[in-house]
Amino acid sequence: MKRTMILTLPGEIIFTRVVSQTTCSVAALLTGKSLSASDGNEFTNAFELAISEAFTNSVLHSACQCEPQTITITFTIEPRQLTVSIHDLNPPFSIDTPDPDIENYPENGYGLLIIRKVMDKVTYNRENGSNIITMSKQL
Amino acid sequence: MIITEISKGDVAIIAFNGTLDASSAPELRKNRALNDPLQTVVVDLQKLDFIDSSGLGAIVGVARLKDDRRFGILLSCMNDRVRKVFEITNAQKLFHIFDDTKAAVEYGATRQSTCK
Repeated sequence: MKRTMILTLPGEIIFTRVVSQTTCSVAALLTGKSLSASDGNEFTNAFELAISEAFTNSVLHSACQCEPQTITITFTIEPRQLTVSIHDLNPPFSIDTPDPDIENYPENGYGLLIIRKVMDKVTYNRENGSNIITMSKQL
Repeated sequence: MIITEISKGDVAIIAFNGTLDASSAPELRKNRALNDPLQTVVVDLQKLDFIDSSGLGAIVGVARLKDDRRFGILLSCMNDRVRKVFEITNAQKLFHIFDDTKAAVEYGATRQSTCK
């Protein structure tokens, strides 16, 4: 059975932990494991990290910094797979960015690299003026 | 996140406690020892529960401003979750990472005396 959950919230950085911890709770529905910080569950940790990265990107790359946009997150929950999509109204971007050149001590540019590394599949679509980044991982 | 300065001296020890992400990363800019290019710092990460790319970038930024980049900031006591972020980004190449803080401080003190 496929279930869907939709979360709509302000695109402000203070909501990042709300989003990532909510995602942990959803991921725990699939793993059936508790959510202590030291749990070390790879599936849950991967989603916590990937969603933190994607939500932060959505907030920081907002076209208008004066007023927070609304960001919509859709969770698609299947018995052995979780898919999370983040919708924002930012300018279009590419997820095929080069990895940061670590030897130059870069302070930015790690987010998409981390998402690609911890998720099974990452896609980007532009629909009706919205960016949709979709991340999925199998249990 | 809470930043605690445990000791001062030739090698300062700083402990991070909590979550290091985009909302807390700017706090690193306010810490004197972290932002002194000449101060060797051991950062104890035992109580750091979570780090993302914003937090990682802030730590790399601290290393970047240290005159002796790779030895100016030494990291200790990473949990597996934090270590994974350093590994998958390859950022572990930029740091000396120790399993315990005492060993990191001893190593830092050796480096300090060598540099004087």
